[in-house]
Amino acid sequence: MRVSSKRVEGVPLVAASGEIDHGSSRSLQEALDVFLEAGDAIVLLDLTDVTYIDSGGISVLLATVHGLRGAGWLGAVNPNQNVRRLLEIVGLSIDNGFRIFDDTPAATSAAGEASPA
Amino acid sequence: MNPTAKPRCRTISVTPEPSRLAEIRRFVEEVGLEASLEPERIFDLKVAVSEACANAMEHSGGQHAPLVVCASIYTDRVVFEISDGGDFRVPGALRGSARDDRGLGLPLMVALMDEVRIAKTRGGGTNVTLSLYV
Repeated sequence: MRVSSKRVEGVPLVAASGEIDHGSSRSLQEALDVFLEAGDAIVLLDLTDVTYIDSGGISVLLATVHGLRGAGWLGAVNPNQNVRRLLEIVGLSIDNGFRIFDDTPAATSAAGEASPA
Repeated sequence: MNPTAKPRCRTISVTPEPSRLAEIRRFVEEVGLEASLEPERIFDLKVAVSEACANAMEHSGGQHAPLVVCASIYTDRVVFEISDGGDFRVPGALRGSARDDRGLGLPLMVALMDEVRIAKTRGGGTNVTLSLYV
């Protein structure tokens, strides 16, 4: 798995690619923690190029949602159908602290509405 | 069970380290393609087998006994057996307390597979059998 971070219109965006499992999830956790520790209330995670995820990766999403709890949300961008199905099975898709978007513009737009500059 | 009724079992044996999970998933993919499964079902098998293996790796306790995954293709189902050489543990029991994944491994296996069976091996390790009906 590869992971990179940047800000889009001020909103933190972490992009992951490849397979997120128990052996590779730590670097994703570290990338997301940077923004949690910076006090960001909304963090976006681009899953477009993520081909596989299991509880190793889902635990990272849960920890991030937990870390943002009450303050904001984690926005998953463009997960593929299989990944999306797993997020539904574990209940993340109906969690108030977690949102799914079809693309980055939709996600940054929602983030902008949630926290107007 | 009559052993002669079993098809030849394809196996992969790895050291119990999370870095080997990707290799196990490639093995699952090969078996899934051989069984002509849909991509979604192959994805489900990869997750379920990975969860079973990750559980086994977590309770291997630093032992070097290999983790063995055995795949069998039947006319009506595909079966993966995951056996470890560690001491028997209820899968998922350690996970919820040690990490924030709330012991998701076993629920995911149950959600994605048609049958999940957990047993102790004769050597005291854990044997997880995952079946997907085709």
